[in-house]
Amino acid sequence: MSTAAPTLDDVRSLTEEVWASFLGEAEPLLPGAGGPTGGWSAAITVTGGWEGMVTVELTDRVAAAVTQQMLGMAEDEVASDEDVADAVGELVNMVGGNVKSLMPGPSTLSLPVVAVGRVARPSDAVEACRVEASWLGEPVVVSVHVFGAAAA
Amino acid sequence: MKILVADDSRVMRQIVIRTLRQAGFGGHDVVEAENGRIAMDAVLADAPDLVLSDWNMPEMNGIDCLVGLRAAGCAVPFGFVTSEGSDDMRARAAAAGALFLIAKPFTAETFAEALSAVLAPTG
Repeated sequence: MSTAAPTLDDVRSLTEEVWASFLGEAEPLLPGAGGPTGGWSAAITVTGGWEGMVTVELTDRVAAAVTQQMLGMAEDEVASDEDVADAVGELVNMVGGNVKSLMPGPSTLSLPVVAVGRVARPSDAVEACRVEASWLGEPVVVSVHVFGAAAA
Repeated sequence: MKILVADDSRVMRQIVIRTLRQAGFGGHDVVEAENGRIAMDAVLADAPDLVLSDWNMPEMNGIDCLVGLRAAGCAVPFGFVTSEGSDDMRARAAAAGALFLIAKPFTAETFAEALSAVLAPTG
């Protein structure tokens, strides 16, 4: 198994690419100070030639705005929790799939897991990089964790 | 012409359908499927002219759907729209008979380029 980890620049640039493609029309993703966001989070894992976990953390307001943009909803339309979970899960799926493509394979991408609050990470997970950004004036955090031997 | 869009995410199905419109293919009928199993049944029942499928789905993934369709003698034009665009995935898709693999995130230009060999633009 590879002990490599994606670089901060790689993860930042693919996160910005996801935002620019599906969310950037209203406002671009900016560098931010990060910090715990509360709100929604999503995680996806890669297993095989490289093993790690990609997480996305968003405030309630950002998660709702992401959902509205991705579904093409009007500003006064309220996104259901089911739609928000779907949209936030798709964000982590895109970032995770692109991280997987950067790392040595073959490996398998899980289905996304979405939670209100923070997704708990396995005890052997070590943070390899963390992108702290800002959208609509609120924090967006994308992080990559590696597991066990890869983290040592 | 009829296009089947298979993705377990309703959000992503909406984005794919919107991008089809932006790429000039908005005049085609679109049907949706939320996993590979439902997509396979719908393709065999309704014979769409093109399938745009996610790879990673519950119940049955996109590559198993494509392999199943080919095993059933169905030659429907089939392309992937997936977050996984590595050389390995592209090679597996091509070996199973996929025409193209569009990696997420994508643009309308990417769609236009990949689909123009299969579908006529509708304006």
